[in-house]
Amino acid sequence: MAEDQWLTYRERETSDDDFDRDLHTEHQILNMGPSHPATHGTVKFLIELDGESIVDLDIQVGYLHRGFEKECESGSWYQCIPYTDRLNYNSAILANLGFCLGVEKLLGLETPERCQWQRVMGSELSRLADHLTRCGAACLELAAMTPFLYGIQARELTWDLTEALCGARVTTNYIRIGGVKHDMPAGFPEQCRDHIARIRELLKDFDAVITANRIFIDRMRGTGVLDKERLIAFGVTGPLLRAAGVPLDVRKDEPYLTYAELDFDVPVGEVGDNYDRYLVCVEEMHQSLRIIEQCLERLEKLGPGPVNVLDPRVRWPAKGRVFNHMEELIQQFKAVTEGPMVPAGEAYSVVESANGELGFYLVSDGSAVPVKVRCRPPSLLNLQPMPEMLKGCLLADIIPTFDFVNMIGGECDR
Amino acid sequence: MEDFGSAALRRLLDAHGDAVTATHAQHGDATAVVERARLPDALHFLRDDPECAFQMLTDLCAVDHLEQDGNPRFEVVYHLYSLEKNHRLRVKVGVPEDDCTVPSAIPVWPGANWLEREVWDLYGIRFDGHPDLRRLLLYEEFEGHPLRKDYAKERRQPLVGPEN
Amino acid sequence: MPVRVVKVKRHENLGFLERLYVPMIVKGFATASRHFFRNMRGFITGDRTDFVVQYPEERVDYADAFRGMPVLVALDNGQPKCVACGLCEFACPTDCISILPGELAGSGIERYPEVFDIDMSRCMFCGLCEEACPEEAIVLSRECEISTYERGAMNFHKEQLLVPEHLLKRRLDFLRAEYDRQSAPAGKS
Ligand code: SF4
Ligand code: SF4
Repeated sequence: MAEDQWLTYRERETSDDDFDRDLHTEHQILNMGPSHPATHGTVKFLIELDGESIVDLDIQVGYLHRGFEKECESGSWYQCIPYTDRLNYNSAILANLGFCLGVEKLLGLETPERCQWQRVMGSELSRLADHLTRCGAACLELAAMTPFLYGIQARELTWDLTEALCGARVTTNYIRIGGVKHDMPAGFPEQCRDHIARIRELLKDFDAVITANRIFIDRMRGTGVLDKERLIAFGVTGPLLRAAGVPLDVRKDEPYLTYAELDFDVPVGEVGDNYDRYLVCVEEMHQSLRIIEQCLERLEKLGPGPVNVLDPRVRWPAKGRVFNHMEELIQQFKAVTEGPMVPAGEAYSVVESANGELGFYLVSDGSAVPVKVRCRPPSLLNLQPMPEMLKGCLLADIIPTFDFVNMIGGECDR
Repeated sequence: MEDFGSAALRRLLDAHGDAVTATHAQHGDATAVVERARLPDALHFLRDDPECAFQMLTDLCAVDHLEQDGNPRFEVVYHLYSLEKNHRLRVKVGVPEDDCTVPSAIPVWPGANWLEREVWDLYGIRFDGHPDLRRLLLYEEFEGHPLRKDYAKERRQPLVGPEN
Repeated sequence: MPVRVVKVKRHENLGFLERLYVPMIVKGFATASRHFFRNMRGFITGDRTDFVVQYPEERVDYADAFRGMPVLVALDNGQPKCVACGLCEFACPTDCISILPGELAGSGIERYPEVFDIDMSRCMFCGLCEEACPEEAIVLSRECEISTYERGAMNFHKEQLLVPEHLLKRRLDFLRAEYDRQSAPAGKS
């Protein structure tokens, strides 16, 4: 097979050989999206094509803009939590957590240990679900149906666990300011261990059919590469940056909750192409499973205990007493109608979400209504250098690159 | 001015002390308020100085202090992170309502591009030197800037696009 | 703690066989067939291992904590337990509850909701109304299959929302277990 048949646009432009040189045909503009079957997420690509090579790419986001920040700035602090569910709808707990950690930072609260372990467990379940969706959907969009089904089955199992833990599969509304909604149910550890074993088995099958598959490798290897200095300058975080060889992980660098006590590794790639991104995501899933097991162990060792701080500013009075005690009833009225009064100030909290660093910048003026709830969306910043990753590549490379950039409309457009 | 134990803040105060109008470290987040005219210098310094080494702009956003009678009304907030030193810094710059412009940070961090477009879109703050200041999340025909506090939540926009 | 970094293993150099496509096709086929035959055996022996549920003939059982649509608890006399205090209205982030309080002459209850509407097209099953209610009068049921032919019909009225207490036992038990745990003396951790 003649190698020069596959010269990219960039190489053809600069080639000396007359045969290879571009014919200078007109460039073609192609609209892809906003709703394209091969992209999971509503986003529009305006692609300038020379034959099949991408010359320029304009990404238009915002199709899912719902005014998250405006909505949060018009309610009280605790009413924002259900909205954070809807940021990244694959990993709602992580967004719940990021927001609540920010408010707790403003209030200066320290949550009980049992609550922290449950939060860690919840966020790892979320990360697992997110990575499974990403890898599964990527396979589907590259026309591999079987691994997609294994991935989705494993995700269903994680969502079963999420349901048992939080009461909902997707929109969890689980983390509260100063705690979690309720303790984990009895029998959860057994269910969890059982499901983890099944997820491991499915991941093995997933790996068997796809990782060493030549068709998959041909589509993934060497596509969407961008060097790490450029990625850092663009503010890219998460698996994308780790695939390029930078072991940046908020869980390790600025450990929050109990991550400092946990034993897990940070997978990194070397080249930073889509294949590395895929491998990093798969490895992260195994690490997440390990973390969940450790959390279960610790929770069982810890025994029962409070999962909420006993701070009347944020904690609604115990329900059992509200029903027949006047004082608690009045407290309940006050807590619901006013909401927590958060001291004036500003705080920026970070968590490592499945897509990268998820930050919440919160500003309060001392009243019950936030002045500013800013979500730092990893999806948006990860999507931004995509034109640079793809310039000179083929049109078909958009699909795997977009899959592993994993732009989640809800989080990107807020 | 105090540096609150933050090495990066100390370096900034030493090198550009006259540009910094206030500092604080609430909840452990070191913050510097910088004069608007000196912002590009300060940002360049923070990126290039080996002690600061803020290679990454993690976030750029604006805050509207209308209800707090803020003077100036807007604040543009930069969150910086250094991978080498593993530290963070927040840089804030005040923007008065009658002159809503800030020098662009794109020459320092290309990642500021979309974030600045978003701030322009939602707050109507212009960034001088931005190559392509279009709306990011909303559509071109949208009137007003919805995250400003004087934009009512209930306000509706006319339908645009083809007749439906 | 030093960051322990693992390098992912790339299949960089494919062997001759791997480059041939055929072995991977066979391997993929084998994996899929294994799943197929296992599920088939389960299907025949009745010990089902397949993952698909034949909805709506079959249904899964939701977890205890499951949050479905909010309903009103009805007392034995058919009246709502609700006292129209309006806390759920306050707590609801989407403002989908509207209450008009009324007085019930002659009965022991002073206040009751004359109108209690929940706009289910806006409700997001978040459960904040349930947490706010001081009377255990609004709870999230296990019902989540609500669809109507018109948009207007999504606005559920009091009569549609009232559910007798014994039908909500599972949810109420779950909530009460949680109250007990909350009111138990803290500090055991
Ligand atoms: S579940 Fe949430 S959205 Fe629905 S009525 Fe209750 S508080 Fe409102
Ligand atoms: S909070 Fe409970 S008692 Fe009060 S109005 Fe709502 S349902 Fe009725």
